[in-house]
Amino acid sequence: MTFHRVGVEVDESRAVGVRTSRWRRLRPGDWVVRLGAIAVVLGVWELFGPTLNKLILRPPSDIFRAFFELIANGELQDAMGQSFRELFGGLAVALAVGLVLGVASGRWRFVYNAIDPLVSALYSVPSVALVPLIAVAFRSVGDAPRIATVALFAVFPILINTQQGVRNVDRQLLEVARSFNTSERRLWTDVILPSAMPYVLAGVRLAIGRGLIGMIVAEFFIGLVGLGYLIISYENVFRIDRMFVPVIVVATMGILMMGFVQWLEGRIAPWLKREQ
Amino acid sequence: MATPIRISVEHVTKRFASGAVTVFEALDLAVRDGETLCIVGPSGCGKTTLLRCMHGLAAIDDGRIVIDGTEVRAPSRKVAMVFQHFGLMPWKRVRENVAYGLELAGLPKATVQERVAHYIEMVGLRGFETSYPNQLSGGMQQRAGLARALAVEPDILLMDEPFGSLDALTREVLQDELLRIYQLAPRTMVFITHSIEEAIAMGDRILVLSARPARVRELFQVDIPRPRTVESVIAHPRFIPLRDHCWRLLRERAA
Repeated sequence: MTFHRVGVEVDESRAVGVRTSRWRRLRPGDWVVRLGAIAVVLGVWELFGPTLNKLILRPPSDIFRAFFELIANGELQDAMGQSFRELFGGLAVALAVGLVLGVASGRWRFVYNAIDPLVSALYSVPSVALVPLIAVAFRSVGDAPRIATVALFAVFPILINTQQGVRNVDRQLLEVARSFNTSERRLWTDVILPSAMPYVLAGVRLAIGRGLIGMIVAEFFIGLVGLGYLIISYENVFRIDRMFVPVIVVATMGILMMGFVQWLEGRIAPWLKREQ
Repeated sequence: MATPIRISVEHVTKRFASGAVTVFEALDLAVRDGETLCIVGPSGCGKTTLLRCMHGLAAIDDGRIVIDGTEVRAPSRKVAMVFQHFGLMPWKRVRENVAYGLELAGLPKATVQERVAHYIEMVGLRGFETSYPNQLSGGMQQRAGLARALAVEPDILLMDEPFGSLDALTREVLQDELLRIYQLAPRTMVFITHSIEEAIAMGDRILVLSARPARVRELFQVDIPRPRTVESVIAHPRFIPLRDHCWRLLRERAA
């Protein structure tokens, strides 16, 4: 029976990326396909890339070598330390703000009305356009403006998904809770929050991707540090092999963090992965 | 001689859509102590709404509903409901779902555990305590729903088409289970159904409602002795006359 599986019905909802549970568990066969696809792309790149453009399309083997060069001279570790500080700081802020505003606006009409137009407007505007404003607001000092940029990029998927998760709570379960004389506090812990959980986690997955973009953008615009700076500076001197190293680090980071959230979902929402 | 009245619905009116739709008007009925009152009626006649009103889940527009001398305004712990949609929390295991009402009632942990085990056993779910609802069949989910309601040991059970979404075979098995459980501990029960056969099997009395706005078409005794099983009820000589009578009442209105 699939009566109460949560997170599947996303009708009328703006929440995005809520997955059905069928695809959640990866089987060994899935990994063969996943790794095989990467191998094919790298193989084609290695063989045919340099024949198209020797300067820009440096083969993966060159990038691999550049990776160790950048580790040997310490540049990569420094940049990663800097960037991840911004990334995790920004994601933490986005999570705190997104969850609080998402829950509040999902629950109280007043909060919803107060923030909905702003959220819609800010979410529609390319976040990049707001980065100079952030730079000015924080006087371009320290990590704060870059953390704020990451937070700006990442906050909306969390906020909107949390809000929709709280709003889409199963009315029938609310009635069951009332029928058993629930208290307001228990209503949250028994019904509303667990039912919003898949939405929130889907929001976090999207936020990770946007946060990584925000991190690089902030480093392009504000202060020239971290992985973003590595990208720009090596691009300017046509060391495309080295330029690709931070790009690949960011991509790997995305894969690892999304995988972590998926793992986390299995831990804190185990009912979702148990299909009949 | 007179059996005490547990639930009394007095001149109750319920409207929907800001008064545009009248679900029922000046409805009167009484549920006696220890009896199972089955309510049947055409779909959409407001059976479920009536039950929700009895539980205090929906407000009424006029009249009053009294349970044991107290007017119903909000759900009471003396009353428990079994839902057509089961209403299990997907994130709770069977054990936690059954414990739900007990925890909300603030009972000590040991009592909760003891009662949960007892009622899980009673509904035949032993071995599934740690399953999540979506790992169970519909019939088993409703067993859990039933255990959750029984576990709070309510004076009154409200059954909202509890077997309505189950397949015919599972439904019959659960009807027998409920008859058996009733035999163990008879308690006052209001049982909504759209199945005439089910009403006859489960009910001591049957209340037939008309189409909206719902009125009491007829209220009659099911003169088939307990203990019952679905099989024994169907085989009883009174079964077919009662069923035909019910059918006639429902069809007259539908035509």
